[in-house]
Amino acid sequence: MKKTLLLIFIFTILFKNSFSRSVGETEILTDEGIEVFQNEKFYLLKKNVRIIADDFNLSGDEVKIYFDKDLYDIIDIQAKGDVNLDSKSYKIKSSGSSIDIQIIKEEITVKGEASKLYLENVEMLSDGLIKVNNLTGAFEIIGSNSFLKAEDIYIKGNNIDGVFSTTNTREILKLNVEDDQLSNIKTEDLDMLSKKAIYNKETSIIELFENVKIVRGSEIITGDYGTLDTKNNSYKVKSNNSGKVKVLITDSNE
Amino acid sequence: MILTSIIFFIIAVIFVFQYIQLSKNNVPIINSGTSNADITKPKFTINGNNQEIAITAKEGDFITDDEILLKKNVVFQSNKFKIFTDKVIFNKKKFIATSSEKSKFISKNTSIVSNGFDIVDNGNIINFKGKTKLTLK
Repeated sequence: MKKTLLLIFIFTILFKNSFSRSVGETEILTDEGIEVFQNEKFYLLKKNVRIIADDFNLSGDEVKIYFDKDLYDIIDIQAKGDVNLDSKSYKIKSSGSSIDIQIIKEEITVKGEASKLYLENVEMLSDGLIKVNNLTGAFEIIGSNSFLKAEDIYIKGNNIDGVFSTTNTREILKLNVEDDQLSNIKTEDLDMLSKKAIYNKETSIIELFENVKIVRGSEIITGDYGTLDTKNNSYKVKSNNSGKVKVLITDSNE
Repeated sequence: MILTSIIFFIIAVIFVFQYIQLSKNNVPIINSGTSNADITKPKFTINGNNQEIAITAKEGDFITDDEILLKKNVVFQSNKFKIFTDKVIFNKKKFIATSSEKSKFISKNTSIVSNGFDIVDNGNIINFKGKTKLTLK
């Protein structure tokens, strides 16, 4: 017992610097200093920046922090160069070439190739931009290889935007998906492809525009315009004057 | 028994090491009449757009007509912050201050520890140099 206490004592002395941050404090470490611009009200953290707080950890090559009155009064964090953000309290994990966190607006923007943003039960990836506003629930995923994945839905397209519910479980209330090639919405039993898709939870209707293809099990329907009622999983597909709706039913046992 | 002795020996070594480190950081300032400093208790002011920064030190030596090496207990104080260090080169014509010594910046709910700093643009820009630690409360 005595020896254990002594070892704990030695361990505490040797590693006291490692545990120097107190609860409620934010510790910021840099390898090449901090430049404070008092009139412009920002400070620039240079090289291998690590921000350690109670609620989140952030690292990046360079971070610019805007403040209101004093240095601790942070209103905007702009990090660039291999940025990683991890917040267990807010259930956010993100990485990208740059991350911008606007504290008052409660908005996060992730930019660059292979940008990732995990927000509660939703996974968002893009080679362009991912933006989410926590207050309004508005989100944007723009650029190539953009997709959104939640528990029961997968959405792919070069231009995805919409509105999440602002409750703990991020439910999609509104959605617009566009892709010059084909956008894709997949649910448990449906695979929908089209150039453009619009969803509104109030009407529970998904509208599909141009090069529409709906796949349900062995049933494939193609046309120019389609609607899907998510309440009863029924759908209608129409065609322009020149075209025809095509239905293909394949026997999966063949 | 041997293990306990080893543990006590390690503790003793740690305490001696920490005492030496503390002594290095807090070298007592000898204020004797034999001081060769060009100026004693120099005072300067940087007038910025929004604030005035008062600079004080225990001693100062002229390097050139415009540059003064401020030594021992150098303090930069404005209505918003204080910076403590032991050596600063201050250009009284351009109002530029440069230090390569360990420095501590203290402001409301904020502290910065760095390996030196530059104050330029009439005090608007403070550049903390080297490995730097900023603590916000």
